[in-house]
This record gives sequence, structure tokens and C-alpha cells, in this order.
Amino acid sequence: MIFQKKASHFVIAVLFLVGGLAPFALRQYQVAMLTEIIFFALYAVSYNLLLGYAGLLSFGHAMFFGTGAFTAAVALVCIPGISIWSDIFLAVLMAILVGLVVGSLLLRTKGAYFALLTLAFNSLFYVVATKWSSVTGGDDGLSITRPNISIGSITIQLAGITSFYYFTLVIIGMAIVFCWYFTHTAMGRTVLLIRENEERMNFLGYNTHISRLLLFVFTGAAAGLAGAFYSLHFQFVSISAISVDMTTTVLLMAFVGGTGTFWGPILGTFVYIIVQSYLSDLTDHWPLFMGLIFVFMVLVMPGGLSQIIQKIPGVFSGKSGDEPGDRVVTEETIL
Amino acid sequence: MNEIFVFSLHGLAYAGLLFLVSAGLTLVFGMMNVLNFAHAAMYMLGAYFSYTQVTTTGLFWPSVIFCPLLLFILGALVERFLLRRVHIHGHLHELLLTFGLAYIITELVKWIWGNYPLAVNITGFLSKSIHLFGIIYPVYRLFVIFCAIMVGVAMALILYKTRMGIVLRASVNDGEMVDALGINVPLVMMGVFAFGSALSGFAGVIAGPLLSTYPGMAHEILVDAFVVIVVGGFGSLGGAVAASLLIGELQSFGVLLFPKLSLALVYLLMAGVLIVKPSGLFGAKQ
Repeated sequence: MIFQKKASHFVIAVLFLVGGLAPFALRQYQVAMLTEIIFFALYAVSYNLLLGYAGLLSFGHAMFFGTGAFTAAVALVCIPGISIWSDIFLAVLMAILVGLVVGSLLLRTKGAYFALLTLAFNSLFYVVATKWSSVTGGDDGLSITRPNISIGSITIQLAGITSFYYFTLVIIGMAIVFCWYFTHTAMGRTVLLIRENEERMNFLGYNTHISRLLLFVFTGAAAGLAGAFYSLHFQFVSISAISVDMTTTVLLMAFVGGTGTFWGPILGTFVYIIVQSYLSDLTDHWPLFMGLIFVFMVLVMPGGLSQIIQKIPGVFSGKSGDEPGDRVVTEETIL
Repeated sequence: MNEIFVFSLHGLAYAGLLFLVSAGLTLVFGMMNVLNFAHAAMYMLGAYFSYTQVTTTGLFWPSVIFCPLLLFILGALVERFLLRRVHIHGHLHELLLTFGLAYIITELVKWIWGNYPLAVNITGFLSKSIHLFGIIYPVYRLFVIFCAIMVGVAMALILYKTRMGIVLRASVNDGEMVDALGINVPLVMMGVFAFGSALSGFAGVIAGPLLSTYPGMAHEILVDAFVVIVVGGFGSLGGAVAASLLIGELQSFGVLLFPKLSLALVYLLMAGVLIVKPSGLFGAKQ
């Protein structure tokens, strides 16, 4: 309920403004980290469209992310002189194709069965990426060089950290805004209502299978775009980009932030990457602590950080918030 | 001809191991409607406990008893204090919880035992090879097949021939009614989960000397066990037997016939079953 539509416009404007000014206040490595946060935020937002909006628990989101990352890298290696636009376009296109094929196979199933199958398909993609080393580089990965943008006769250098940061901010920022817009379209609302009562939506004449497939493909395309930026940012891609660990990462990001709101996963990504960078300085076993935080949150605050934030106004006005552990997702809170 | 015989025995041994893992998984799923992502992590814990026990005492047999017992206690604790708490939040949270537990167990294993393969050395009769219809075959693999058959038969007898089995099957159908008849259904469910965990621990102990013990073993067997469940049908013990055999032999002969494709064959089978019969070969219609 905290973010109404008008408030959301305000939040978007503030985020872009802060994002635009941030490089002046930050050091180079912090700008690089912020770039990472932005494209991972899109990845988390796309994941949450499945988990939070459609109620589909997927353990296979990394297959889109990895497909985008590898397509972007392989295209740069194999097609000399390819422009950055066609490179990104190809990555998204491949992710869409993967979404269509995998989605039409898996979306006939639901719940635990769907979760299990997505994990199995993610493993299939991982195995293919490992074995097909002539294209993907196998265990060694692929190194690439970021191309520059050329619009007509103007060329913008992208080699620098700050210039790539702005490029990411604009493109990925627009993609996130588009995802937000998507949730307000008739299509986005349909998906939400299907989660609440599929039978009824069927009865009202909606083809729930097609709606779900479209959402699956849409989230896949967004994750593929994020993956392409992952490759371009690190100028390197390895099979870890398509492994189940990459799915675990996005699950943690989305869940820590809160799957009940659109903006939760962005907050979650921010927190996750900062905490991860501090923890990994302290101990090599940071994934263990991430896992403990995750299980703690599943047990104690399933609504994530945004659940706490949503409760704050209630605390000040003396109203008691939701029961702890209540699932906060309703149509009103999520929109 | 001998080669085919050897490879089909290899396939049987792997099928046995797969059955031991997927039987516990499918039991817990069928009874409690919980897909336990941590099942394979518990299997890995079983293997590592067994490794520690074998290297310190030099004896293999005690670990066949003790490791499943440890996992039984762990499973009971997980069900009582974690799973039951999230049960009210619904299915999604149960999945997330077991997934998180699997993640934690894997990281703990890496921390305690290191991120590299360890070998469990067995001695005595099990480490020998015997002559069998004109070939020489390691006893241990036959032992794996034997264990799988024993567990399968025992499970079928308990489920379909004892009073406990009747209570279990009735609890699945109508838990409230069974509860009203004076049976402590939550305790039954705790027992089922603990038994499933013990079974995964047993499978881990058995797997130790057969495969190597390393932190990736959980994920590897998990995916194969999932394929078994998809192919055999959810919650079906008979389906688990048939699918384990199918996948064990497919893996074994896949390496022999199409070495490059062997890893993908299992997935192709799964995709095929999904297209033709999404509920699995022996599964009830969803």
C-alpha cells in the first residue's frame, strides 16, 4: 500500500536522479558495484514477477540469465564488429526463444512439480554449457571486450567504468520501469488474478495458459537482458552465470527484499550485494551466512525487508501491523 | 556379450542407489506433500558422516547403523522445529525452507570437510571381487543392489501389510479423520520425515564407497532423483522402482554407446515423458 501509482512515479524520478548523481560522490569500485546492483536488480525484479506476482516458484531463472550472458559474449567473439545494440538484441531474442520452448513444456505443471522441473532444466542448461566448450569456453569461460556505442558519426566510449555505468542506468533503468508498467497493464493484472483464482479466470474466458506463458517469456527476456549486461560489465562470462547458484542468488535477492511488493527485490539486490561484499572480505564462507539469513527470513519474516518498511507507518500511528509471518501479498499491496 | 552383462550390472547398481535416494523423497512427498530439496543434502551428510566414521575407526559396518540414526534425529528436529512452523504459510514456503536448508548444509560440508573429493575405503569381503557367470565383478556393487531390494521390499511390506502402513495411508487421505480417531497425526508426519531423512542418510553411506564423496554429489543425485520422480510419477513407489531401473541402465549404456550424449540422455527422457505423459509413467492424473 506504501507505493501508490503517483508515489511510484516519484520514486522512479528520485531513483534516476540519485543514480545520475551517484558517480560524483562515489569511488570507482563503488560505481562498478552500483552497476552490478542495477543489472542484478532487473534480474531480481523479473524473478519476482514470477514468484511474487504469478506465484510460480522457479529454480531455473539462471537459464535465462545465462543464455543472455553467453549469447552476448559469443556474439561479440564470433561476429566481429557487431554493434552493442544488435548484441543485446540477440541476447534478449535467445532468452525469449528459451522461454517459449521451456515455458511451453513446463507451464503445464504447477507448484512443487514446476519447481522441481525448473531445477532440472537449469541443470540441463548447465550441462550443455559445460560440455559445449567449443562455443562457451567450458570451464575456462569467455573473455570479451566491450564495444563502443556509435550513433551515426558519434561514438561514445564505453570502456570506462563511469560511462558504462550511465549506459546501464539508462537501459536497465528503462527496462525496470517497463516491468513496473507491465504490472499495471491488463496483462499484468490478469496474471495476478490467475494466481488468486485460476478457475474463475478460466470461467471468465481468459486463456490462463497463454497468459502464464507470456509472463514466463517476458520475465525470461528481462533476465536475458540482465545477463547480457553481466557479460558486458565483467567483460567475462563463465559457466557460473548459468549454474543453479545464479538462481539461488536471485531467489535470495528477491526474498530478502520482499516478494510482496514490486520495489522489494530492488532493495533486496542492494542489500544482498553490499552485505555480500562485506561478508566476503571477512570470511570465505559467506554463502553459509547468506543461507542462514535466508532461512531465518523464511521462518520469521516471509514478507522480507519491505514488510518491515510497510509496518513502520503503522507503528507510529499506534496501529498493530500484520500478524508476523502473514503473507502480505494482496492485490492492493502489490500494485 | 560379457560386456553387456557387466554394463547392465553397473546400471543395476546405480539404479539401486537412485532408488534408495528417490524412495525417501517420494515417500515424504506422497505422505506430507512436501518436496524436500534438502533430501540430497542429507544424503551427502550421510556420506560424509560415514567417511569420518570409517577413517577414524576403520570399520564400515557401524556407519550403516549410526549414520542413518543421526540423520533420523536431524530429520525429526527439522520437521518439528522448522518445517512445521512454515507449514501454515503454505507450500511455497516449505519449498523455500528446504531449499535454504540444502544450501546451508552444502556450505557447512564445504567448511568442515573441504571442497574436494574424499574416498571412503572399505576393507574385507565387500572390497573383493567374485566370479559371477564367467565375469569378475566387485562385491560392493552387488551389495548396493541387494540393499536397494531389501529397502524396497521392507517399505512395501510396511506400507501395505502393517497397521502402521494403514495409519500412514489413511493420514494422507484424511488427516483430520485419523486425528479424530485418536492417532497423533503430527507425530506420524514427524516420523515419516525422519524416516525419509534416515533413508537418505543410508543411501549416502552406501554411495560413499561407490562414488566419491564431494560437495557437488548432492546436486548431482538430486537432479537424477528428480528425473526418477518425474518419469515414475509423483509419490508412486512402484514408479520409483521402474524409473530408477530405466535411468540407471540408460546412464550405464549411455556411457557405452553415446559417450558424448550420455549426460543429456536422462534429460531427453524426462522431456519425452513430459510431452507424452506429464503425470509420469505410473502417476495418477494431476
